[in-house]
Amino acid sequence: MEAEGLKAIASALAIGLGAIGPGVGIGIIGGKAMEAMGRNPEASGNIRTNMILGIVFAESVAIYALVVALLLKFV
Amino acid sequence: MLKKLLTVRNLVILLAVIALFVVSGLLGLKVPPPHVALAAEPLIHLGSFTITNALLTTWIVMILLIVAALLTTRNYPKDLATAKNSDLVPGGALGNFMEWIIEGLHGFSESVAGKWAARFFPIIMTIFLFIVLSNWVGLIPGVGTIGVFERPENSPVHTYVAHGIVMTAEQAHEGEGVILVPFLRPPATDLNFTLALALVAVVMAQVFGVQAQKLGYFKKFFDRSGFKQGVGMGLIQVFVGLLELVSEFARIISFSFRLFGNVFAGEVLLLVLAFLIPYIISLPFYALEGFVGFIQGFVFFMLALVFFTLATQGHHSEEEHH
Repeated sequence: MEAEGLKAIASALAIGLGAIGPGVGIGIIGGKAMEAMGRNPEASGNIRTNMILGIVFAESVAIYALVVALLLKFV
Repeated sequence: MLKKLLTVRNLVILLAVIALFVVSGLLGLKVPPPHVALAAEPLIHLGSFTITNALLTTWIVMILLIVAALLTTRNYPKDLATAKNSDLVPGGALGNFMEWIIEGLHGFSESVAGKWAARFFPIIMTIFLFIVLSNWVGLIPGVGTIGVFERPENSPVHTYVAHGIVMTAEQAHEGEGVILVPFLRPPATDLNFTLALALVAVVMAQVFGVQAQKLGYFKKFFDRSGFKQGVGMGLIQVFVGLLELVSEFARIISFSFRLFGNVFAGEVLLLVLAFLIPYIISLPFYALEGFVGFIQGFVFFMLALVFFTLATQGHHSEEEHH
């Protein structure tokens, strides 16, 4: 196989596999936050900010995968 | 909900878009597949200093922000000490709008940072407004699509034929085609912009940490107090300090690549969708990108606020415990 094609597959795998974990994590965070908001609607503002914070930290793992994918593709 | 959307105006817009789609398809006007450039393209060379299209857009956003700030505070008295309360009431639509944003986010940052909010707020609010406005400026039609044609330097780039001032989807032969170098490019699709903001945020976290705890701030990186309780505990604390040090640098990467990745991916997404089904399918994603642009600004705001607050707090509770 050509080096160019291998590179394309590698970068696709890097971001594709790297997005699985954060995807599951963000789903759990969002679901639990909805549950919490349903139980205690008065606290929803507080829960929402903490939810976004948690999502952001889970997302940064996907960002690292994106960095690797971009490095493979463009460098 | 559906009844509200089905107005005459919306139907006319929808029909016009579909007509545009059909007519351009009949005329054979296809949108070319996007040419994705990771780095911002240089526009002007001033000696060794290069002005890229992303830098130009950044300056335009800065000018817009400065003008908005001047217009908002124009009617305020110069000397705030002797001013009456009634002089400080914002006037006009712009003044009220700015007060609404600033007041809402100031209340939020006060609930997180307490008395330090007054120190943090100018920096994080500036970053927030800067990011959100630059993301939204990047969504204006024409940004990233109007520019000059250039012959690519490296041959493997896919190039297309230009008819007059419009680039077409016809694949060009070797060495004949052109690529489009836009005049304006969304600032956050240039890593330099996001890296600069990330460095500002991380360095300011250290500055606020030192201001709050003096040199005791650096104790969290180089902690030797654990050796009092034996070598094992000491080694664990040294290792924890090293982790803190590494995570401080990892913040620069995650800050800058989060903003860059989201905006860059959104830009590529819009281009690819415009290539797949022109005019129609881009519209919902266009709204999504507007939302993402705001959320990324808010995320940067909130993370900077939380990291600043963490830096000022330190490990007082643990010290009392020992």
